[in-house]
Amino acid sequence: MATVRELSEPYSAFMRNPLPPGAPGVCEVCLRFTDGSFPTCYPCGHRARYADAVLPLSYTGYDGQLYHVLAQYKRQRNQTVARQLRLQLAAVLWRFLDTHERCLGRAAGAGSRFDIVTTVPSSDAVRDEMHPLRSIVGELAGPTRDRFQRLLTRSTLEAEKRDVVAEKFAPSAELSGASVLLIDDTWVSGGSVQSAAGALKVAGSGAVGVLVFGRLIDQAYEDQGERLAALPKQFDWEPARSHARPDCVAQPLGRVAAAVISWISVEHQPSSRAVSWSRWGRRSCS
Amino acid sequence: MTDLYETAALIALLRRGDRPWHQEAALVEEAGSAAAVLSGEHVGPSEASTPQLFGATDRAAVDLPAVEGEVRQWEAEGMQVVSVLDDEYPENLRAVFNRPPLLFIRGELIVRDVRSVAIVGTRRASKAGETRAGAIARHMTEAGFTVLSGLAAGIDTASHRGALTAGGRTIAVLGTGLRRSYPASNAELQEEIAAQCAVVSQFWPDQPPTKTTFPRRNVTMSGLSLATVVVEASHTSGARMQARLALEHGRPVVLLDSLVEQHAWASSYAKRPGTYVISEPDEISGLIERLAFAEALSA
Repeated sequence: MATVRELSEPYSAFMRNPLPPGAPGVCEVCLRFTDGSFPTCYPCGHRARYADAVLPLSYTGYDGQLYHVLAQYKRQRNQTVARQLRLQLAAVLWRFLDTHERCLGRAAGAGSRFDIVTTVPSSDAVRDEMHPLRSIVGELAGPTRDRFQRLLTRSTLEAEKRDVVAEKFAPSAELSGASVLLIDDTWVSGGSVQSAAGALKVAGSGAVGVLVFGRLIDQAYEDQGERLAALPKQFDWEPARSHARPDCVAQPLGRVAAAVISWISVEHQPSSRAVSWSRWGRRSCS
Repeated sequence: MTDLYETAALIALLRRGDRPWHQEAALVEEAGSAAAVLSGEHVGPSEASTPQLFGATDRAAVDLPAVEGEVRQWEAEGMQVVSVLDDEYPENLRAVFNRPPLLFIRGELIVRDVRSVAIVGTRRASKAGETRAGAIARHMTEAGFTVLSGLAAGIDTASHRGALTAGGRTIAVLGTGLRRSYPASNAELQEEIAAQCAVVSQFWPDQPPTKTTFPRRNVTMSGLSLATVVVEASHTSGARMQARLALEHGRPVVLLDSLVEQHAWASSYAKRPGTYVISEPDEISGLIERLAFAEALSA
């Protein structure tokens, strides 16, 4: 049997740690690179935001091995190869959540552990019946499989992919305040993830934390490609640096990020932003 | 099944050179059709907002029946032409992002070749290095693996020979087109491998060896393999580059402890995640078996 560490290790070569939310030029919601004029990127600033916190494991361009894996684990026809990709993604998820579920939980206001884990359904109802993401989260990954529930299905509502409409998804249960960890493979504009988070709230959920494997960066758009290429080439799984949430100030880089953020929020931003920062607190991961 | 019309459309698309080849591969696979990409009906995710990349007039004059004729000619010469759209396209290779859109094959790839391991190293190998490469090839053969290498002198030749001598399968991945042999001294070995197993190239059949063909070939060899084993290689060797590419593909890299003791590049690679250092050939098959054919995960 292969260990989580063995199977996740090779992904270190092509995963890219996200920058801290709201650091200069980083969207405070989805961590996309911005020009710094606003706290969020355009899509996050102009649509409903139902998720209480969003954490991508990695950035990815429309090219490169992570992007390819995130397409192939669903599309690959050879079952042996597909199975390997799913096991690897499950190992990555497992290793990451072991360390960082509490960070996302605190950021979302759910405490150190979410009550329920679920996934965002495919936009295609037929394809969703066989969605391999459910097998990764609901069967293969240790930290999630015992809490997994299939809570959402795609409704018949016609809506643009990028639009945030909670009614896109139909909840199957009454959640009576339970906190939910909502997992998807990629975040493009956040349209389906935020809609799914909205559907969970409609169903009565408590805090919703979103975890995605890849936050897509359109390398061809303005300086996005250069900024993606400038990130450190080796993924860091350690608490503070892996996602540099200001919660994780145990490590030097986390402290720097926290200092930068408090500087922005106190000195240079309207007071409403300072309030939103305080939510992140200054706690350690460990 | 190979679809001749689609293969011809893909060839025309590659010759037009709109994008890097691996991006063409991704786009064609996504569309499920090279003809749709050639006609401009299907565009890339970040091209959707800038559709006027190429004028309509540039798109017109492609004589696809003539290209189909070329493919038939290659096939008559004994070359199989396999594209990313074909079921015959190797599945290991399909799982890496920078896969070539087209492969030329002499001989035959079989289902079992999914269990492939690349054994690579320097052209100027020591006697001890060649002996080690041969021993590893023999061991991998006995463990039911196909041995991939690059048909170069030195470690490559020893690896191919080791597998053939042990009665196993070996595949040569060329840095030239299939009509060429490099080095010329290995023309006979190339014939032998084509007759018994398979010789693979991602280049047009007449492509001579150049500075860029070998690194591109290493991408393909890493992609075809479950893991890359580096036997003996200096820091300027192409084998070192293949180790880097394999890590970028998320595939394990196996270094011999003798290599790590001798070369600074190897001892620094040994610390990278995904790299394994072994001392005995028979440690390799178990390691790869565990990593590449895992059934379940344990914490």
